[in-house]
Amino acid sequence: MATKLNAETAAHEQLELFSASRLPLKPYYTPSDREGKPYDEIGDPGDYPFTRGFHKTAYNKTPWMMQQVLGAGNADETREIMDRLVTEGMEGYFGHAVFNVVFDNPTKGGIDPDRAEAKGHVGVGGMNFSHLDDIRRLVKDLPLDKINLSMITGDTCLIALAMYAVAAEEAGYEPQQLRGNSMNWLLKSFCVDNPDFPPRNAQKLVVQLIKYCTENMPYWNTTNFSGYLIREAGCSGVQELAFTLAWGISTIQACVDAGLDVDAFAPRLGFQIAFHNDFFEEIAKLRALRRMWAKVLKERFGATNPRAMHARVHIHTAGDTLLAQQPQNNIVRVALQALGSMLAGVQSVHSCAYTETLQIPNEEQARLALRTQQIVLHETGGAKVADPLGGSWYLEQLTDDIEARAWEIIDEIDGMGGFVASIESGWVKSQIVDELFETQDRINDGELVRVGLNKYEVEEAAETKPDVFTVDPAIEQEAIRRITEWKANRDQDEVQRRLEEVRRAAAADDYLMPKLIDAVKAKATQGEIMDVFKDVYGWGFVTN
Amino acid sequence: MTTVRDTTRGRPLNTPEPAGKGPRIKVVLGKMRFDAHDVGARYIMRKLVDAGMEVVFIRFALVEELVDAAVQEDVHVIGLSSLTGGHLSVGKDLADAVEAAGLGDRLLVIGGVIADDDRASLKAAGFDGVFGPGTKAETIVDFIRTNVTAA
Repeated sequence: MATKLNAETAAHEQLELFSASRLPLKPYYTPSDREGKPYDEIGDPGDYPFTRGFHKTAYNKTPWMMQQVLGAGNADETREIMDRLVTEGMEGYFGHAVFNVVFDNPTKGGIDPDRAEAKGHVGVGGMNFSHLDDIRRLVKDLPLDKINLSMITGDTCLIALAMYAVAAEEAGYEPQQLRGNSMNWLLKSFCVDNPDFPPRNAQKLVVQLIKYCTENMPYWNTTNFSGYLIREAGCSGVQELAFTLAWGISTIQACVDAGLDVDAFAPRLGFQIAFHNDFFEEIAKLRALRRMWAKVLKERFGATNPRAMHARVHIHTAGDTLLAQQPQNNIVRVALQALGSMLAGVQSVHSCAYTETLQIPNEEQARLALRTQQIVLHETGGAKVADPLGGSWYLEQLTDDIEARAWEIIDEIDGMGGFVASIESGWVKSQIVDELFETQDRINDGELVRVGLNKYEVEEAAETKPDVFTVDPAIEQEAIRRITEWKANRDQDEVQRRLEEVRRAAAADDYLMPKLIDAVKAKATQGEIMDVFKDVYGWGFVTN
Repeated sequence: MTTVRDTTRGRPLNTPEPAGKGPRIKVVLGKMRFDAHDVGARYIMRKLVDAGMEVVFIRFALVEELVDAAVQEDVHVIGLSSLTGGHLSVGKDLADAVEAAGLGDRLLVIGGVIADDDRASLKAAGFDGVFGPGTKAETIVDFIRTNVTAA
């Protein structure tokens, strides 16, 4: 008996257990792991430092928002998808409609559909949006003071917001009434391999949007620090946490430097985070995020408004974890990720369709993705109690450890002169790429198991081949026709005058949004305004 | 368009350079406009370099730019990484442009988010190799080594 116990203890001590981000793990944890650590450091739900979430009532007042990314073709197709998902039960807080609209790649890059570069990309992977009429069609007859509209675009987000504000005004809604989300991702060049504004100029635009909304759109969420983008570029969970916080810190600093009041603008900042495979690490990461953000706002920036300290999180279940092999396995992966998101107490979730590795979803696949969240909410019972895993000796240790590691990285970035400096030097990108090589090597060599890919594969003939959504190629021609007609029917001199005013304001760092709104009213297109921005601010690759 | 010549990093490839090799295999690897999904391309590029090849990586390119680079660098292999859909149309454009530029004898490969059903169309359009999601790096390296004619 004694021999067996000794052998087990020896084996235990020899185990080398690590989480996905290589945090050391023990095979079990006990109360002694929390010895000397006061509960105050964790806090109750609803109390600083908000490790356990923002509400003592958990999800009982309202569940998280089910904010499925949608968008394809042109505004009419996208509106159909929106209407259909509403009938399928896609809801935001208190049952209000929420729409998380993604635009196609030319739109996101500020390229109008009638440009040669847009060929083959119009309406693919997102909605094409180039001029005011697109957004009018998208939101026609919707109660804009009751819906929540997120617009997924980074570099063009000020223009997109101006267009929405103008369309809303035409429909009888003041900017003060509008609810929704701009990504404000202008500072993403370090992880999204596309050309961009140079980081220091990108930061100026970020501040402009926050300033405008803080003064005119109190219900509009201005910024989305997207750890998700960084994670999908190949970084680890610890890096995602650290880089996202560093991103947030630099943005707050830029706003404070511009004279904005942190208690006023910080409540409308938010996060988009991946929920990846390592179940407990991902939950720990989110709890650490809340705690760290609260500390940053209070201690570093002197915030006194508790809402300024809330790191509100939208989860995008990690596309990186999904495989093209045996795609139905992805249904299981997404279910686990949706469950984990609920247990982590987040504010909003997008759950991927199982065919995401091949294409954006068709109707049936989109329905299943939504049902996944609905089942998690209504059938597991897990939404009734706030932070249900809180107090687990394991989870609290993991939360502490991931926080400590992330602070180390943030300190390193501070030492380099801040996040923008660390992007410009290429340091952040190289950190991400090193991690990506390591992970891909481990998958390539079969060390990191990916079920269906490097273990439990099936013959190609036995693989499931789901139907994939296809975009009608006629969409591109229709988009070109619409914008051509739009441009032909306007006062060309007025457009040029307004674009010139945008140019002057941009070059002088003057207040931009009112000029953008005027340009939109004069019927300038998104591409035309972006051309001015690119010219004034510069445009190109930031890193290799 | 931007070119990147990569450095080696990380663990070595499981298929080291064969002894008595011929001249270095030259590859141009491209991603099209807007397609920012660079994880696969960067990884494969690194593995090709580890295998002793020379790789020019071109981001945010149009078909003409990729073909121009292929001509200028006089490559053995032209590769396209495509992860935003549209591989059938841009693939056909690339294959046609490669032919028109007199590079029809070079190895033309494509990788990325490509459904199995599209394989036949891409082969018919002129691609010698089609590598879907999850393809092992060694598979691509071996394919290139086997199919690049030394002459």
